[in-house]
Amino acid sequence: MKILIAIGSKDYSEPTLQLGMRVAKAFNAAVTIVYVGDRISAFSTSEVLMAQENLENWELDRQGVDVLEWAHKYLAEHDYIKSNNNNEEFTVEKLIQTDDDRCEVYLEGKHTQEVGFILRNGDIIQQLRDEVKRGEFDVTIIGASKKRRMIHDLIQYIDSSIFVVKNYDRNKQYKMLLAVNAAPNTKKAVKYGVRVAQAFDLDTTALTISNSSDFRDDYKSASLWADKFLRRSGIKHETLLKHGKFIETMNTIAGNNHLIIMGASTKSPLAKFFKGSKPLNVSEKCNCPALIVK
Amino acid sequence: MLGFSNQALSNILYWVTRKRWLIFAFAISLFLFYIPNPETLSPEGHRTLIIVVITMILIIGEVIPLPAVAILILILEVILGIDTPNGVASSFMSDAVFFIMGSLMLAVAIVSQGLDKRLALGIIKMTGNKTWRIVFGFVAISAILSSFIGEHTVAAMMLPVALILIRNTSEDKAIVQNLSTLLLFSIAYGCAMGSIGTPSGGGRNVIMMEYISEFGLGNISYLDWIKYAYPMLLIEIPIAVLVLWFTFRPKQKILDSAVRKLKVNVTKAGKMTGKQILAILIFVAVFLGWVFLSPYLGLGIVALIGVFLYLSFGLIEWKDINRNTNWGVIILFGAAISLGIQMKETGAAEWIANQAISGMQFIVADVGFLRWFISVFLTGILTNLLSNAATVAVLGPVVLNMGGDPIILGLATSIASAFAYLTIVASPTCMIIHSSGLVKSSDYLKAGWKLFIMSVAILFLISHFYWPLLS
Repeated sequence: MKILIAIGSKDYSEPTLQLGMRVAKAFNAAVTIVYVGDRISAFSTSEVLMAQENLENWELDRQGVDVLEWAHKYLAEHDYIKSNNNNEEFTVEKLIQTDDDRCEVYLEGKHTQEVGFILRNGDIIQQLRDEVKRGEFDVTIIGASKKRRMIHDLIQYIDSSIFVVKNYDRNKQYKMLLAVNAAPNTKKAVKYGVRVAQAFDLDTTALTISNSSDFRDDYKSASLWADKFLRRSGIKHETLLKHGKFIETMNTIAGNNHLIIMGASTKSPLAKFFKGSKPLNVSEKCNCPALIVK
Repeated sequence: MLGFSNQALSNILYWVTRKRWLIFAFAISLFLFYIPNPETLSPEGHRTLIIVVITMILIIGEVIPLPAVAILILILEVILGIDTPNGVASSFMSDAVFFIMGSLMLAVAIVSQGLDKRLALGIIKMTGNKTWRIVFGFVAISAILSSFIGEHTVAAMMLPVALILIRNTSEDKAIVQNLSTLLLFSIAYGCAMGSIGTPSGGGRNVIMMEYISEFGLGNISYLDWIKYAYPMLLIEIPIAVLVLWFTFRPKQKILDSAVRKLKVNVTKAGKMTGKQILAILIFVAVFLGWVFLSPYLGLGIVALIGVFLYLSFGLIEWKDINRNTNWGVIILFGAAISLGIQMKETGAAEWIANQAISGMQFIVADVGFLRWFISVFLTGILTNLLSNAATVAVLGPVVLNMGGDPIILGLATSIASAFAYLTIVASPTCMIIHSSGLVKSSDYLKAGWKLFIMSVAILFLISHFYWPLLS
């Protein structure tokens, strides 16, 4: 499995990095950390590139390298990657420009290079989409953004599972909330959930929500399957059948102390674009981290 | 749906959402194509204006690569029957395009010589360690140098000097926030102001010279331009320093330790090498060529001679020039100049000029002031949204058809296109300082609007009281 973690700054990305690395560890996944900087106008691409190359003659880093260095140091200090000497200063050994808007960053020092570091510039959705396509990532992990339609665009256009790290507090005791229904991606979501629950030792709720009190047979059987799978996997869990509006019910139960995991919608992209989808609406409105499994 | 897989539909949706400006451009051009042709405008002029509208939307939206916009202009000029293929081809390549190409290549050659450390030492020797003096030095040196060698060249060389001073002051961004903004804007605004000083300060100056000559309105030499524009540059420097200082007043009034560390860093570079001396000599020769030979050879050919010398003496390798030259911009400006010429030939430029004047006459009765105001204000606003050279390429033919003294209006337009203070995308220098990650987009407005108004006011005074004395 390959996981892409998108970070933006030292001040706000720590929860994303921490949760992302814990998830990656749970899946024993290869990790790449990407920093996406501002878009450079096409009128200035070469000029900015030339100025940035000139900075290297002065041993000055271009924007974003400091954030990646911080991420590298953070991972070493928290034992996510091996380190011989945490006090070793990082120096940018190599910055390989693979495209006008993409660099591979090789941070050296005494730390081993177990995690890939990528520096990109441009529209974040386009850059992440390109990176996911290029690296064939399975999961993209990113912090919540205040940008309008950001979560919508991530889920709609990025061809990997999306984990939006919203309001994550490492000191809080989280539980897992698994959305279970008859949708095709539910089984994959439950399997992901089991791995995460095992790694984090989380109490889990498998929640099935129906519009009416009369539960459909396929909903009931999906709930039964999830219950059996969780039990066999040794996850401490409860199974709930609730009726009501899906999004409100999910978010009420999730509160701010759950990790939500649910399968992506299989509705037509056009329908999702204009009308949205349950996973999209849940992840936009919830107050906790949410993983949408594709 | 319609036989598309979900993946394909998703890709189409993605394309549509990302390219909505392209779709909008084509929709609006179709609408304009089918509305009746105004009586006072020729059919060719009408179609030329459609291309102008498409071009502006695509440049502002940046939804397709710049060379694609350029190619589209050329294709539409032929397909819409505005000119023959040979006519379009000949209007595409001119001395102005040679100049833009040559100056972009010269910029790469100069930056790669490592002269920035000499520059840093020179500035520090002149200014000492007081922050206000350093800011003055940054603005003045950036302005004076960029008036000769182009603004982004100077910005690329000055950026590390500023960043080293900032880093030497404190690694904590919060402590040096105002200092960072102050020093970086001293470079960006200094370069922008300086670019008006001589024709070689920016490609747009040469585009305007090309239009004035091409439209048979007169000839401006390199020295003439300096006589018109340099006083304004010199007046702007101290005023800009004051505006920047009082907008981003820093906590650090003296940068003693930062300056000392910078000196140590720079002196490690040792003495000036033979290659660096040769590089400077070649540039001085190019400058003298612009002053004395450009009436015979053209500014572009002189710039290309400089590039030839840099390459021949092994001061730069072709692969470096190739990698760091913005070829897309060169092709786009070639196409934009071609479009400008078609605007003149088809009467589209004159039609817009008349519409603008008659439209504004309801508000202000003085046509002379109106012409000046439309030229300068519209250019100043557009330059902050498009790019300065694209603004001059599109507005130049209109302004030169507004009546009055075309030299004064043309120069005022070209100079106003340097008022790129308000946005990040306004010019490569604004983009270069933004790429440091130390300035926010809101900072551009904080000082930018003051400088914008100040520059318009100075230009008004210079163009109304000083320029008439020269003609």
